[in-house]
Amino acid sequence: MQPRLRIALAAVAALALSAGALCAEETRLKKGTPDLKSAGPIAFGPEGILFVGDPQGAAVFAIDTGDKTPGKADSGLKIEGLDGKIASLLGIDLKQLLVNDLQVNPVSGKVYLSITRGQGKDATPVILRINQNRELEELPLKDVAFAKATLPNASDKQRRESITHVEFVKGVVYVSGLSNEDFSSNLRGIPFPFKEANKGAGVEIYHGAHGQFETRSPVRTFTAYDIKGETNLLAAYQCTPLVKIPVSQLKPGEKVKGTTVAELGNMNRPLSMFVYEKGGKDYILIANSARGVMKVTTDEIDKIAGITNPIRGGGTAGLKYDTIKELKKVERLARLDKDHAVILAKTDDGSMYLNAIALP
Amino acid sequence: MHVLLALAVGLLDGPSIRLDGRIDGKSNAAIEVRGIDGVAAAALMEGSWNREEWTAILAVRVVGAKKDDKTPALLGSYRIVDGVLRFEPRFPLAVGVRYRAVFDPSKLPGGREGKPVTAEFHQPKPAARATAVVQHVYPSRNKLPENQLKFYVHFSAPMTKGGSYRHVQLLGANGKPVENPFLELDEELWDPDGKRFTLYLDPGRIKRGLKPREEVGPVLEEGKSYTLVIDKQWTDAEGNPLRESFRKSFTVGPPDDEAIDPKTWKLAAPLAGSRSPLVVRLPKPLDNALLQRLLWVTDAEGNKVPGDVAVSEEETCWRFRPDKSWPAGVCFLLADKALEDLAGNNIGRPFEVDVFRTVQRELKQETLRVPFRTRQSQP
Repeated sequence: MQPRLRIALAAVAALALSAGALCAEETRLKKGTPDLKSAGPIAFGPEGILFVGDPQGAAVFAIDTGDKTPGKADSGLKIEGLDGKIASLLGIDLKQLLVNDLQVNPVSGKVYLSITRGQGKDATPVILRINQNRELEELPLKDVAFAKATLPNASDKQRRESITHVEFVKGVVYVSGLSNEDFSSNLRGIPFPFKEANKGAGVEIYHGAHGQFETRSPVRTFTAYDIKGETNLLAAYQCTPLVKIPVSQLKPGEKVKGTTVAELGNMNRPLSMFVYEKGGKDYILIANSARGVMKVTTDEIDKIAGITNPIRGGGTAGLKYDTIKELKKVERLARLDKDHAVILAKTDDGSMYLNAIALP
Repeated sequence: MHVLLALAVGLLDGPSIRLDGRIDGKSNAAIEVRGIDGVAAAALMEGSWNREEWTAILAVRVVGAKKDDKTPALLGSYRIVDGVLRFEPRFPLAVGVRYRAVFDPSKLPGGREGKPVTAEFHQPKPAARATAVVQHVYPSRNKLPENQLKFYVHFSAPMTKGGSYRHVQLLGANGKPVENPFLELDEELWDPDGKRFTLYLDPGRIKRGLKPREEVGPVLEEGKSYTLVIDKQWTDAEGNPLRESFRKSFTVGPPDDEAIDPKTWKLAAPLAGSRSPLVVRLPKPLDNALLQRLLWVTDAEGNKVPGDVAVSEEETCWRFRPDKSWPAGVCFLLADKALEDLAGNNIGRPFEVDVFRTVQRELKQETLRVPFRTRQSQP
């Protein structure tokens, strides 16, 4: 059992410190070249291990980045015209570039990006990171220590699960996805180090609207948060509400219903989120597709219980939030250090930039 | 010997840049600088240089819309081969992209006189050939339930991924677009070939009791007409637009909140000893993709019978033709309970379960077995 953490989503950072040094044997990583077919959502584990979701190959890779020297995050980081710079580095025009995700290695404070270079058959996954000179460099994927966990539907002809989010929480890599055929709701927990026998059976996630109408609910993005000593996933459903799900309930083959803790508004999709602490209080920072960046208070999150009787007329349970007006068109955000976040956003003319910001 | 030769060439002609190989998006073409002073080339070969030092000497950049010296140089490796400085890009050079190589002799070890030498390389894209089309959109029928969950768009060629939702619109009867009707995902839902796109309608506006539906209403409303429009600007994986736009018009009927009930299916048993198909008629259309995968046939012992599935009549008819002749006696049609109808209702479980109604009991087993007996030929 991993030691319990007092404050959550420091989770990844704290785990890197508390888990102690993992040797190659313990992580079961082997030298070679990971056969990544695509690079989607990414997450950091302990000791500079990067988890890469590969929706095309229906797999999750654990890759040793070798980036293990503790370092101070660059709180002045700012890169304008990021997409143009990446395109030039990779020798393509902008139309051939997809920036899929952004994460920070909590050990070194370095920012990593998951990229697709090119389209169709020629599409190539690339992982880039930003070095101390604020330059983009490629994470080499040849002769690196890695491990692979294959997701169960890898052999299906046409069915694929798009991986919507990957996160490492206390020894388990959680993967959420949405199928291109069935409206399934699998959230998989794959214990790390990966074992051949455990491919991470899925947990079916449900949502009970007003306690009455219960549906399967695929998860779009999530983060971990300890509520009164119990680790929860705070998850945003594809059908919008923000819910809490105790990790202890996520047992393979089980059916789990999340408890709605906030409604983030209609015509809106939460894109990216994490939990941070400021002035002795915990907050959730959420980037949304249509409603900007929200700073959500966690006050009384422990008291919000499942609703057991129908509530008519749009009644909702809800955490309170402020919208951070200065932050516009933010597509991804990640915690940089205890006082800063890094955002990936677009300017009004559509070009992409990356910026370190003070946590609001 | 090689160094001397290169030195001689260099003295005669000065350095020049050339492309070794083809720009086709696949081959590993390299960019070479010939005519470098032999002493400098030898120093380059022997020394250990970092990326910054190499790119000061020779940098290849994408020529963009904006002139920007801060644009990073292409990733790649540098080496000296027979006195020639060779840059091998990390990724194949792409068709349609303009590359500029700049060689600066003053940055060579020890410095050399002379102005920077520049060369541009560009393999133009072949003229756009708009050949790809939308072949079909499922569901095939033009009357859909109010809680219709998704569409499948089938293309004739692999398509560009990313930004796909820009190219689909749902128009109301007045020709005006319905606002935010789709579930837009960063990780778009494609099949492995990139030829089938899955388009979900926003489930937040389908499920009852959720804020999006309560505030802005459902995407589709009973009694109204809509047109799904796929814009021809959507490009295939080669960057060519579609040959034509695609429109699918439909009307909307009442919501379908009923689970799929295999008891209502009508099976026409095939003739034993023949390869004629087993025909299953469905009282309501089911999801086309799932009909290919989640219905199958076994023999009396439970062995899967190999064969081909064909779905027709607006996804209300499922045909299975075995690879070998049918055995005499009992066979089974198996259905995975994850099978969905157009509104996402499963076998034994509707899309939305009203937990205050106890009549809706959930099916426990994962698959359902429907027996049928192959027909005997008439004497």
